[in-house]
Amino acid sequence: MALLGRRDFSRGALALGALALGPLGAMPAHAEPKKGGTLIYASVSGPGTLDPHVSSSAVELEVIHNVFEGLVALDNRNATRPMLASKATASADARTYTFELRRGVKFHTGEELTSADVKASLERYQRVSPNAGNLAGIERYETPDPYTFIIHLKAPNVVLLDVLKSPIFPFMILPASQKDKPARGIDVIGTGPFSLGEWVKDSHLVIKRFDGYVPDTSAPGRDGYAGRKTVYVDQVRYRFIPEATTRIAALQTGEVQLASSIPTELRERIEQRKELAVREVFPVGGTYVIVNSQYGLTANVLIRQAIAAAIDITEITDATGGVNKPNPWMSFPNTPYYLGESAPSPWYDVKSPAKAKELLKKAGYKNEKIIIETNSNYQWMRTTMLVVAEQLKRAGMNVDVKVVDWTTNAAHMQQGTGEWNLSTTLFGPDHILGPQQWRPMIYAFPSIKGNDALDAAYKEFFAAPDLEQRRAAWLKIQQQVLGNGYMIKIADSGRLSGYSKRLMGQTDYPGILQLWDVWLDPAG
Amino acid sequence: MIRLTLLKLLQAVPVILIVSVLAFLLMSLLPGDPAVLIAGDQATPEAIEQVRRNLGLDRPFLEQLGIWFLHLLQGQFGSSLMLNQTVLSAMAERLPVTLSLAGLSIAITLPIGIFAGSVAAYYRQSWVDSLVMGVALLGVSIPGFWIAILSVIVFSVILGWLPSSGYVPIDQGAIEWLRSMILPAIMLSLFQIGFLARMTRSAMLDVLSQDFIRTARSKGLSEWVTVGKHAFRNALILVITTMGILVSTAIGGSVVIEQVFALPGIGRLVVQGILARDYPLVQGVMLIYGFAFVAINLAVDLLYTVADPRVRYD
Repeated sequence: MALLGRRDFSRGALALGALALGPLGAMPAHAEPKKGGTLIYASVSGPGTLDPHVSSSAVELEVIHNVFEGLVALDNRNATRPMLASKATASADARTYTFELRRGVKFHTGEELTSADVKASLERYQRVSPNAGNLAGIERYETPDPYTFIIHLKAPNVVLLDVLKSPIFPFMILPASQKDKPARGIDVIGTGPFSLGEWVKDSHLVIKRFDGYVPDTSAPGRDGYAGRKTVYVDQVRYRFIPEATTRIAALQTGEVQLASSIPTELRERIEQRKELAVREVFPVGGTYVIVNSQYGLTANVLIRQAIAAAIDITEITDATGGVNKPNPWMSFPNTPYYLGESAPSPWYDVKSPAKAKELLKKAGYKNEKIIIETNSNYQWMRTTMLVVAEQLKRAGMNVDVKVVDWTTNAAHMQQGTGEWNLSTTLFGPDHILGPQQWRPMIYAFPSIKGNDALDAAYKEFFAAPDLEQRRAAWLKIQQQVLGNGYMIKIADSGRLSGYSKRLMGQTDYPGILQLWDVWLDPAG
Repeated sequence: MIRLTLLKLLQAVPVILIVSVLAFLLMSLLPGDPAVLIAGDQATPEAIEQVRRNLGLDRPFLEQLGIWFLHLLQGQFGSSLMLNQTVLSAMAERLPVTLSLAGLSIAITLPIGIFAGSVAAYYRQSWVDSLVMGVALLGVSIPGFWIAILSVIVFSVILGWLPSSGYVPIDQGAIEWLRSMILPAIMLSLFQIGFLARMTRSAMLDVLSQDFIRTARSKGLSEWVTVGKHAFRNALILVITTMGILVSTAIGGSVVIEQVFALPGIGRLVVQGILARDYPLVQGVMLIYGFAFVAINLAVDLLYTVADPRVRYD
């Protein structure tokens, strides 16, 4: 899914998973978790809604994942792990999925979770969520008893559980009473380890430890978004501070213990203080040049390949700064669909103006204009496209750079509108969740139409019963997307967060902010 | 006075009408489709069309305009798309913050600006004049954004005197409220003090060179009475005009200050609304701002009659 939704920008959030707490290297070995205290977190901006079924922006999900839970969730290795379910099983024909629910799980109202709540939640999801298309293959739901929930599918779907673990537009379970509530109109009641406290829009939001929380005792400890969750802090106060310098100032003065989205050029201000530290949250997303395959010159595959051949990744990442690592693939290392060295990736980091010129000649290029569209809101995007423009000029292309605002830029990419050949964006959890999650983005952003090989590869993917076959199909998909220059991968990228060394106890799982199992060291 | 007020209110009607139409035109002038924003990143064309229908964006332009005015006449300023609440309630929540900021900033600006301008005029072409005008020039020239960030670093991080950001409502303690607002208010007033000082100096110089001041002095009136009463009263008209501008710039300037100091006021609301293409919100706020500026100008016009009995509008 696209991380850079337009609404995301309005709240200052650049990417999903913009923050995860760190392993806190300064933590002494004997540190014991301590209960109590208020953790204050400086976030870029506040959520517009806490309705999980319609939320895709980081600032919303940073609250939502601490308040709500789904049937399944991503674990530390990005695999699927039951969360509200105690067990999830698929039938041999992959058309029926049965979930056994954990017993005694309570909503924040004190009511017990039952299969009726699960059914009502998924029905609501199908009605209100922009991501509802992922449930289109569902024939019906069945609730034979309060602790069993069954999904019947119209056709086999081997990746349904992978769909249900999505951290954006998450499939969170709400009380059945919320079933008919409109999008963005729910009462914020979940089963998560925190419940919602005071919320003053644009100012602050408080989540409080839910003392009635029923942890998953089958797990030895925390595990990604799942596992046994323990809350040590009494409450967490999110403060919405849009200006980076002010967020850092709040960290320096001790007003907050954690701050998100630290610009690279300001990290030193934090690191020069012995009581503070900076954490690199990596990987958070992958950056791409998007090539519009339905507009002008770039409808020609040879021109797209020429553009890809001219790109020098190191030049781009050197210019943009930040936390970047080269990766030719559309999955992060250590995820099930990462292909690593198992296959060649001849489209990546070619940096050959000569090859680009050769392809241009073959395409019959006559110095027509190639339009690059970028935006005034995100410096890294602007820098990326300015460097790309120079690289294309070096390969003999006639380039025009157009700067618009991010909302317009994003809308053009998502809808294939506007007059542009190249642009750039960042994609996030798609790199974790895999091809099924990528699908709408792959087709929408470069406006891919009529590519039979890609359609066939996707068909193969959805029909493949085992992972190896699906990985083979994923290779074909990437060969189509990257090899034919619809999208040009730049790098995997991360973000910086700043924190007080008083804040203890996190894993290094780079997910969306998780506030369970952290504590404040009173002696720090 | 009542007749004058009514006359001024009547004159405000076409202004408000124009502001209303301009606010409405935002929807069609700005690039980007709000329906796409609301429907979300992965919405199908059908879902986007459904949102467009729900918002009435599929109707003819004039019909949309008619509906907009009809709603305005019913006191409906629309509902924010991103906040899921009405524009009026969103503004009402944030109004105390912006009013606190603007009010405190004006309270700081007026005495300092008028005093500095008067002193500069009285000691014209002396080192005092040069010093005051030099500082005033700095005040109007320094970018608000830069000085605000610098003030956070100096007064919060280095000196530790004040909190770096955030707003404490006055009902949670007047001292804490003042601590949260004083730095933003001073930063907002820097430009205004400089501006007011320069305007006051200019007005006072004008008046101090007039015959009646010489007469007052030759009558043996003290300098305090001559300058403080006779000169200042006559310079007041220009100062009142400037005050109208100051209130307007305080509200406008609050956008930047609220952003830097993380104050949940109307300025920040507008910025978020624009970035999120929350058209109803921006339209509503723009309209209410339009009303507010009309009211400010009306108040200034009425104050003229109080300050200068010669001013008559009939």
